[in-house]
Amino acid sequence: MPGDKWLDQNAGPVVRPYALTGGRTAPTAGTVLDLIAIVSATDPHERIGDVIDLSPEDRRILGLCRRPATVTDVAAGTELPLGVVRVLLADLIARGRIAVIPQRSAGEQPSTDLLKEVLHGLRAL
Amino acid sequence: MAYVPSDGSQDMLAAFKIVVAGGFGAGKTTLVGAVSEVRPLRTEEALTSASIGLDDLSGVGNKTTTTVAMDFGRITLSSKLVLYLFGTPGQERFWFMWDELSYGALGAVVLADTRRLDDCFPSVDYFENCGLPFVVAINCFDDSPQYDPEDVRVALDLDPRIPVMLVDARQVSSVKEVLITLVEYVLASRPVPLHERAAMPPTPTLAAQPTAPQSVTPQAVTPQAAGTVLLPSHAIATPLAGHPVPAAAPDRAAAPGPFGDHPDPDEPSEPAGTGLRLIPYPPAAEEEATQSRSHRWNQRPLRDPGETPQPAR
Repeated sequence: MPGDKWLDQNAGPVVRPYALTGGRTAPTAGTVLDLIAIVSATDPHERIGDVIDLSPEDRRILGLCRRPATVTDVAAGTELPLGVVRVLLADLIARGRIAVIPQRSAGEQPSTDLLKEVLHGLRAL
Repeated sequence: MAYVPSDGSQDMLAAFKIVVAGGFGAGKTTLVGAVSEVRPLRTEEALTSASIGLDDLSGVGNKTTTTVAMDFGRITLSSKLVLYLFGTPGQERFWFMWDELSYGALGAVVLADTRRLDDCFPSVDYFENCGLPFVVAINCFDDSPQYDPEDVRVALDLDPRIPVMLVDARQVSSVKEVLITLVEYVLASRPVPLHERAAMPPTPTLAAQPTAPQSVTPQAVTPQAAGTVLLPSHAIATPLAGHPVPAAAPDRAAAPGPFGDHPDPDEPSEPAGTGLRLIPYPPAAEEEATQSRSHRWNQRPLRDPGETPQPAR
């Protein structure tokens, strides 16, 4: 693009973050996803380029979700604010393109066995 | 881009999070960055004159950026276990994020800076209130006075069971030790299941613990009086965002003896194995107790070496 030299990293996004969500700061339906909720594309092998009704951000999210990833990972990978990613993910979940992988609910404490696995993993680092 | 899928072919099955808290400039970002396998997600904003008056820079030296959003780090422990570290925003105006970060967290690390020890009071108060297990890690800055962790424990007025340790937030091995200590502490804080209790020898560990002075305000030590309510322990350990539960620190029931006998007469007794815990109600007394840490600190006698770790200069 000819105008590239005027726009660097410090210029910030050209489109304001919440313009991507139509101004929504919370998902239209469903619960707000936890930071470490794990999401995954329902069809990881789909050729995203063939789908026409997806925004560039949706495509990036779907690309990141080919493998199970946490909401935090998706936010980091797309470099979008967490609130925006949550809204976009909720939309994709509603459209059946993304599924939340069930694990223990966020408020529930992990089992002692899992904790011991965490401890073991940390010691082995 | 910043996200690099781990090369393991198996699916991620369980994610955990640990909150890293502490005062402004205590080194949370450094600590998260030291052990994380991904670039910390953060928004650094230049400290400008707009911060003057809002962000107290005395003692923080030549810090020119501060974390506006949040840090996160990721540690892949195994093909199905991933640990996330979330640094809390250091400034008061971002404290609304704390409930979300703490919700469902495994535990917390409170980073203390002995040059500005009172900066970590709010963190200690917060995790004590919401019942999230935490350890206190004293970040060893080059120019900070060295203190014995036990002195810091006294100055912070901590429960004797809460681990207090030194850390170099820049070093992976040091941070790893802190995380291991935290998980061990979380495990030790758990009530032992009944079927395991029978096989356990009586645990004299609590009696052997040094009894640090635990100055609780008189109002706070009347749990059996008047109203007490039964709450499931998990309700105390993980309050819903926006609904802080002003519970007494449930960790104090760490490793009870085989029959639920409790060495601390000030503590409400827990019915063994029921998963239920008595907490005092109404919580007004607790509110006052939590106010008192900062209050006592402000009322402290200055330059009293037995009480406060003031830099001896």
